[in-house]
Amino acid sequence: MNRKLNRRDFIKLQAKNGLFLAASASGLFLPQLSLALSTPDIGVVKGEAVAATKAAVDLIGGIKSIVKKGHRVLLKPNMSFTRSPEEASNTNPDVVKTIAIMCKEAGASNIMILDHTLAPGNACVQISGIGPACREIDNNMVHAINNPSFFKQVNISNAKSLTKTDVVKEALKADVLIAVPVAKSHSATGVSLSMKGMMGLIYDRTIMHRMDLNETLVDLVSFLKADLTIIDGTRVLSTGGPGGPGKVIKKDTIIASKDMVAADAYAVSAFEWYGKKFKPTQVKHIRLAHERGLGRADIENLSIKTITI
Amino acid sequence: MIRFRRLIQTFCLVLFLLLLTLASISGISMVNLDLFLQMDPILVLISAISAKVVLLSFIPAAIILLSGPFIGRVFCGYICPMGTTLDVTDALFRFKNTPYLFSKNLLKIKYLVLIFLLGSALFGVSYVFFASPLSLITRFYGLIIFPVMSFLTMAVLDIIRPLGDMLDINSISFAQIRTIRFATQFFILFFFVIIFSMVIFSSRFWCRYLCPSGALLAFVSRSPIIRRQVSDLCNQCGKCARKCPMSAIDKEIPEKTFYSECIVCRTCEDICPEKAVTFELSEKNDTITYETFSPKRRALVSTGIIGAGTAIMSLTGLNSLYGKPGEGQVGAKGLVRPPGAVLETDFLSRCVRCGECMVACPTNTLQPVWFVAGLPALFSPAVTPRRGFCDPKCHECGKVCPTNAIRPIEKSDRIWAKTGTANIIRQKCLAWEFEKSCMVCDEVCPYDAIEFLKEKDNKVPVPHVIENKCAGCGYCEHFCPVQNQAAIKVTPMDALRINQGKYEPEARLKGFKLQFKKPGQKTNPLESYPAIQQDSAPGFDKE
Repeated sequence: MNRKLNRRDFIKLQAKNGLFLAASASGLFLPQLSLALSTPDIGVVKGEAVAATKAAVDLIGGIKSIVKKGHRVLLKPNMSFTRSPEEASNTNPDVVKTIAIMCKEAGASNIMILDHTLAPGNACVQISGIGPACREIDNNMVHAINNPSFFKQVNISNAKSLTKTDVVKEALKADVLIAVPVAKSHSATGVSLSMKGMMGLIYDRTIMHRMDLNETLVDLVSFLKADLTIIDGTRVLSTGGPGGPGKVIKKDTIIASKDMVAADAYAVSAFEWYGKKFKPTQVKHIRLAHERGLGRADIENLSIKTITI
Repeated sequence: MIRFRRLIQTFCLVLFLLLLTLASISGISMVNLDLFLQMDPILVLISAISAKVVLLSFIPAAIILLSGPFIGRVFCGYICPMGTTLDVTDALFRFKNTPYLFSKNLLKIKYLVLIFLLGSALFGVSYVFFASPLSLITRFYGLIIFPVMSFLTMAVLDIIRPLGDMLDINSISFAQIRTIRFATQFFILFFFVIIFSMVIFSSRFWCRYLCPSGALLAFVSRSPIIRRQVSDLCNQCGKCARKCPMSAIDKEIPEKTFYSECIVCRTCEDICPEKAVTFELSEKNDTITYETFSPKRRALVSTGIIGAGTAIMSLTGLNSLYGKPGEGQVGAKGLVRPPGAVLETDFLSRCVRCGECMVACPTNTLQPVWFVAGLPALFSPAVTPRRGFCDPKCHECGKVCPTNAIRPIEKSDRIWAKTGTANIIRQKCLAWEFEKSCMVCDEVCPYDAIEFLKEKDNKVPVPHVIENKCAGCGYCEHFCPVQNQAAIKVTPMDALRINQGKYEPEARLKGFKLQFKKPGQKTNPLESYPAIQQDSAPGFDKE
């Protein structure tokens, strides 16, 4: 902001800051702080996919802190490409299945696993392995949502450019939205993680390319904010994303957080991309989301708990 | 007997529709999906003459034709889906009792149609798609009824979907089917509206007067061994003549049958109050009623000349120079043929426009063209990437083509069947013109034929097509986020059109490097281009 401060504004501002400080000191914000002491902001578990997924969610308070009895749950994995799990363009089916089972055990009344796929829908559901894996829980759980009649137009208040879009109806009905992205690179947005994955729940994505992709993406996330993010870092598509094929690095890591931005930010810093290390703020949409207060990209200030099983 | 015939007709129509439906489902290769097309005598004859090839798959047509001298036009009365469809529409659209129409002159037209087709086929131009009953009816069901069914199914799903949402029946909430849409459908429909409305003059107007397959069968069925016999019980009431759907019975002398017009429906046998009519092995005494209505020789010759003339006109059109390099590379602009399509001239003489390939295409990219490539190319299939990409692992179109206008390609050879090359239209490109970091074309390219380079004066890396790695599949054009015309477009440049042999050696000779993206093989902008390396990595900001 280039606006010059006059004295009156300056005093107002000081007073506000003073009040804020006083409130902090007196413990007004304490509940949050104390919670942070027991449950970390980000849980990171290294180990076998199924066990690591369970452990990561448990680290940040367990599935029951999010999914209550009778809740409708929407899982958003990556299954947009006709590629096998080993190629890391799609989310590891074991991770998706584990989360679905956890939600069911927590008492979810309805669990849907949806993605608007780029390649032909049925082929994606099958070849990604997510369809076959989750069929064991429920035959009608996994769907490629490629038909306009599955979507409904919504207005995004506070959006900077993407003021309206067509969102899958299930996202509007669901009580809980869980992002289950695979950790992968993306030629246009650097990485494709939980935030970028939300493009799989809307109908027209081409408009986002024609506008500013990063800006519209943050607009979208301000509407489709996941209650829980579990990033599948069992295999990381380090180059050649989003479609692949590219360099796949086996990291056996699951990252869980209730803050999408934090989870994405951590994933950026935790893995190597194109043979290099990057700071979360080097990914524009993560930086913008932080600036807009959708979550925190300053992971150095967050509590992170890492365990190996 | 009518009931028996109806049963056979229903069975044949259902079988025909079943095979067409199976053709629309990918991965069916066990069944002979073209059985009905292969039974059509005119389709076989004209294709063989115009393309100058004899195809073994046309044995069914030979059987049909050879059956004529024994059992008459049974094909028309029992098997032909066009005939059955006309029986249904005649019953639907008839106003009152069909008038009795008998005209020797009209009966001659179908022979003239046949001669016209032969005349043009001699010059290698096939106009059989205008008149072959099986080509027409397959096109009708495939390109008009199939999309309508798809639309209606979707409409029903949309109606019951809220119910599924309400009751949480996910199989209903998320049920979806392919959206099938075709170009030129009104022109196809127009033809059928005319054919169907002919019921105001007579039933089965098409079969009686126009069908060239009917003409061929009539020619061989002038006196079949098993045929209509009338006994002495006949009191000449004339009921049979009035009820005959083909007017194949003389109104004045009902004992007299015009066998070349009789489709052996045996209605006369059923309705005869005196039970005087039978269909059985012929006896000597009825041969006197033998009579045909072939046109005069002069009419035949002049129609043949008209056919030949039309062929010559087609061969002197500008589009006829397509694929002839010395003539300036003219040809229909941007017309991309399906993979495996033979050389254009042969393609057009073989293709019968039945529409099977378009029905079979899982991405709906194959669309019938209208006049873009002239009259001889009417309704021929073209790859339309904006509608759908042409999956380089798929070759459903080649599997169903009845005349090998689209050759079947072996699985290992499919990737080499290049259909064209993509070109970037820089003025429309989000990266080139609008400096937005869009890399969709590279993301979706199955061949790794797009590379992103850093250019001077542009903030973002911009796409380039590596021509010899591009197979023209159209993934890029299909998914390009630029509206209406894409910023990357497939043109038929460097399309491999060969009539025989494998595609791979031919493609290698031309220096094409067609292979799917593999890990490590992908042109990694970071490794290959130092200019981008300075810029950290694709999509990341500088620190």
